[in-house]
Amino acid sequence: MKTVVKSKISALLDEIAKEFNLLVPTAGDGASKFAPYTSGGQVSLDGRTLLPPKDVFFPQTEKMYKFSTDGMAGSLETLLEAPKHQMLFGVRPCDVKSIHELDHVFLTKGFVDEFYQSKRDRTFLVSIGCNGPAEPTCFCQSMGVNPQESDAVDVHLFDLGSEYGAVAKSENGEAFLQKYASFFNEAEVQLPAISEFALKPDVEGITEKLQQMFDHPLWEEVSRKCLGCGACTYLCPTCHCFDISGRVAGNQGFKFRCWDSCMFSEYTRMAGGHNPRPSKKERVRNRFLHKLQYFPERYGDLLCTGCGRCLSKCPVNMDITNIIKQIREVELA
Amino acid sequence: MTQVLRAENPVSPLVPVVGKIIKIVAEKIDVKTFHVSTPEGEKPFTPAPGQLGMLSILNVGEGMFSITTQGPNHLEFSIKKTGVLTDALHEAEVGQTVAVRGPYGNGFPLDFCKGKDILFIGGGIGLAPVRSLINYAVENRGAFGNLQVIYGSRSPADLVFKEDILENWPKVPGMKVDLTVDRGDDEWKGNVGFVPAFIEQLAPSPDGDKVCVLCGPPIMIKFCLQSLAKLGFKDENIITTLEMRMKCGVGKCGRCNIGSCFVCLDGPVFTLAQLQKMPPEY
Repeated sequence: MKTVVKSKISALLDEIAKEFNLLVPTAGDGASKFAPYTSGGQVSLDGRTLLPPKDVFFPQTEKMYKFSTDGMAGSLETLLEAPKHQMLFGVRPCDVKSIHELDHVFLTKGFVDEFYQSKRDRTFLVSIGCNGPAEPTCFCQSMGVNPQESDAVDVHLFDLGSEYGAVAKSENGEAFLQKYASFFNEAEVQLPAISEFALKPDVEGITEKLQQMFDHPLWEEVSRKCLGCGACTYLCPTCHCFDISGRVAGNQGFKFRCWDSCMFSEYTRMAGGHNPRPSKKERVRNRFLHKLQYFPERYGDLLCTGCGRCLSKCPVNMDITNIIKQIREVELA
Repeated sequence: MTQVLRAENPVSPLVPVVGKIIKIVAEKIDVKTFHVSTPEGEKPFTPAPGQLGMLSILNVGEGMFSITTQGPNHLEFSIKKTGVLTDALHEAEVGQTVAVRGPYGNGFPLDFCKGKDILFIGGGIGLAPVRSLINYAVENRGAFGNLQVIYGSRSPADLVFKEDILENWPKVPGMKVDLTVDRGDDEWKGNVGFVPAFIEQLAPSPDGDKVCVLCGPPIMIKFCLQSLAKLGFKDENIITTLEMRMKCGVGKCGRCNIGSCFVCLDGPVFTLAQLQKMPPEY
C-alpha cells in the first residue's frame, strides 16, 4: 500500500491547493467544519467535524435565479455557476455515506437537481478512516458503515498511526496518487484493529417493525421533551429538506433555497391554516420514521449514518440510539 | 423517466419561466380563475389532467396549484384568496407578469378511466382539480362511457365554473350534471342539501366498473366515502386528489410526504385503496 507520513501532509496539501479549491476540516470558531485550506492554517484531521460537509454540495442558502419587475412586466435569469474543481479532503466514512444518501435524493427518482449535481460532479473526495469511535456518540458501525474504509470516494486514507495508507478508489484517484507519487512510499501495512463502540443500536428489522407503529403511544412519549429547535436537522449530514424563498429590493430580487427543518410547524402548514403535522408528536414521529422507515422504503437505505452529531448537541438529550432501543422493546399486539 | 433538466432548459424543476395573465374570470367573491400564457402567447407547458403547476408573482412568492384546465395556448388556475400570494393574485390585472413551473405530479390515471363510466363529485373549490379530467373527458368524449357530475357548494353564489356546470356540460351527449347547495335563495330551483345526502338520493350505480373521482373539503370527502361505500363503489375505483404544502414539486424538499410517498411526485392523485395503505397524515 502507498503510505504517506502525517508530517508530510501539510506539504502535500500545499501542492494540492495549487490545483484544486481545497476544503479541509478546520477547527472553525467553536464549530469545526470543512473550510478552504490556507497554507500554514489550521487543519484538524483528528476526529469528525461538528458541521457535516453537506453544505459543500447543498449550501445552507443558495441563490437560484434573479428577477426584475417593472409594473406588470418582469424577467428572470437562472443563477447556476459551474464551480471550480474542488477537493473535499478528510471526509469520515459516516459522512461519505451521507453523501451517497444525498445523491439518492438529488439525483434520482425522475428529476436531477442541477444545483446539487454541478457541485457534486466537480468534487474530488478524499476520505480518512477511523479506527474506532471518533467521538463518544459515534455509532456508524451499527448503521452499516465500515468506520475504517470508504469505497464511494476517489482516494481513501487509512489511519496507520504516524502515517496514512492511501488507496485509489476511482480512476481519478489513481491519477491523483501517480501525480503526487513523490509524497508516498510503498510499504506492507497492517490495518489496526477497530476499537469497541460504546453505542451499538440494533436496527435489524426496524423498518418492518415501524410499519406497524404509526399509532403507537411511544411517539407521544419520546416527543415530550423535544423543544423543536431543529438543531438535529441542521447538524445531520443526511437531512436535506429545503425551503424556497425570495428577497426583493425595489424592482430587483432573487429566489434562493435554504435549509429547512421538519421540526418547525410552518414546514407543513398550508395557506388555509390546515397543518397535517400540527404538534411536535407528529413532527418528531415523522423525523424518526423518515430516517428509519420512509427513506428505506423509498431508497433502500437508512437515512442515518451513525455520526452521532444529533445526540451530542441536542439540548434535551434526544438520542436516536435510545429511541431505536425503545422501538425494539415495544411488543406489538 | 429521468428528466435531466439543464439550466438553458426553459422548464427546469426549480426555476420557472416567465408568463403572463391573459384573462381573469371572477368565479365567486373569493375565487378567480387565471389564464396564463407565455409572453409570446404560447402554453408554458402541457400538463396531463390532474397535474400541478407552481405559479408565482415574482416579487411576492410562489404556490402550488392544480391546473384546472388548459386551452391550446394557456393554462388555467382557479385560486381562492387565502394568503399573501393569493391576495396579490386577486389584485392582479390582465397583463400581469407571473412565473410558472411544472407540470408536477402523476395526474389522473387516464388509461384506467378510459372506456368506463365516470362519476365526478366536487365540493366548493374542490371542483377545480376534477375539472381538468372532466374537460379532458368532454374533449375525448368517445374514449369514455357516461359522465355524471355531482357538485355542491354552500350557496348558489358559491358555485364556481358556472358556464361549465350550467351551460356547457349539460349539453354534452351522455353527460348529466346534478347540483346542490347547502342553503338556497329565492331564485334557486335546484336541490338543497349536503353533497353526501344528495349522492344517496341520486343513488348512482357502481355497475360496469364505474369510476368515481371526487375532491372537496375533508369533511365532505369523509361522508361522501361512506355514501359511496353504501352504494357499492370499490375502493380501487374511488379516486381523489390531495393537497399539501409544497416547495420543490419534485420530491426533494421533503414537506409533502405522507409516509414514504411525496404528494407532489407520487400524487396528488390517489385511489382510496392506496390511501388506506398510507398513514392518515394529510
